[in-house]
Amino acid sequence: MSKPNNPFLKEDGTKCTCMDMLQQMLDSEVTNEQRDYFKQHLDNCMPCYKTYDLEMTIKELLKSKCCGGDVPPDLIIELQAQINQKIST
Amino acid sequence: MVEEKPHQKYTEKEKKEIFNSEFMPHIRSMYNFGFRLTFDRDDAKDLVQDTYLKSYRFIESFQKGTNAKAWLFRILKNSFINDYRKKSKEPSKVDYQEVETYYNSDEVDRQITPDLRVESLKDMIGDEISNALNSLDVDFRTVIILSDLEEFKYEEMAKILDIPIGTVRSRLHRARNLLKEKLSEYAKSMGYNKSNV
Repeated sequence: MSKPNNPFLKEDGTKCTCMDMLQQMLDSEVTNEQRDYFKQHLDNCMPCYKTYDLEMTIKELLKSKCCGGDVPPDLIIELQAQINQKIST
Repeated sequence: MVEEKPHQKYTEKEKKEIFNSEFMPHIRSMYNFGFRLTFDRDDAKDLVQDTYLKSYRFIESFQKGTNAKAWLFRILKNSFINDYRKKSKEPSKVDYQEVETYYNSDEVDRQITPDLRVESLKDMIGDEISNALNSLDVDFRTVIILSDLEEFKYEEMAKILDIPIGTVRSRLHRARNLLKEKLSEYAKSMGYNKSNV
């Protein structure tokens, strides 16, 4: 089976480095084709595999630990009251 | 300030509909963003309130059905810079120019090789992650929030922050390295190092 073509290309047409591909993956700035290629690349590149695993763990932790904090109920009530006041004036 | 010139014409009923159906669903994300910027629940509340009142005042700059979340984040970020940053309780921890110069240098990727493992991260209870994020300079913190917590794309972030896409990309890269460095310090303080993992 032939190796798939690398769909990660720089603006000048040259191939992206592992770091470039990793960053695009982490930032969710990839096409489906690029994502598939990168997942295959992980099977053959241990440094990328380890870095990607670590970075994705950090991303997941950030999402689960830093999105908390309920909106104060009085904020919504006050806002609605102020908007209604603007509409009636 | 909301710089866009008004180009829509809405009835009062339409304005209220847009406000309730397109703006209000983002209030939780907006409050979290406000809190992560100010570190103070009252300031975050004031900031979000100001943002929503501005969004209503300038609602005719907003085209119905477009990206309300990015538009609101842009207003909040500008309000923070103009009204809150000056009186922020946060002490100035770093000289931003110094940080930017250092992290633009070629040394950065070689020097930042955090001794960090997935196993040590999983033992962190949440405060460490939050503290690490909070310890970043506001410009680095902001790109992490926008990308990793709110899942904005480069193009949206560039519009929210008024910076080129290339700057978004490089700032995000540096912010991730700084965050790893900070998490690595916590991991070391918890007793993790290369020899015992």
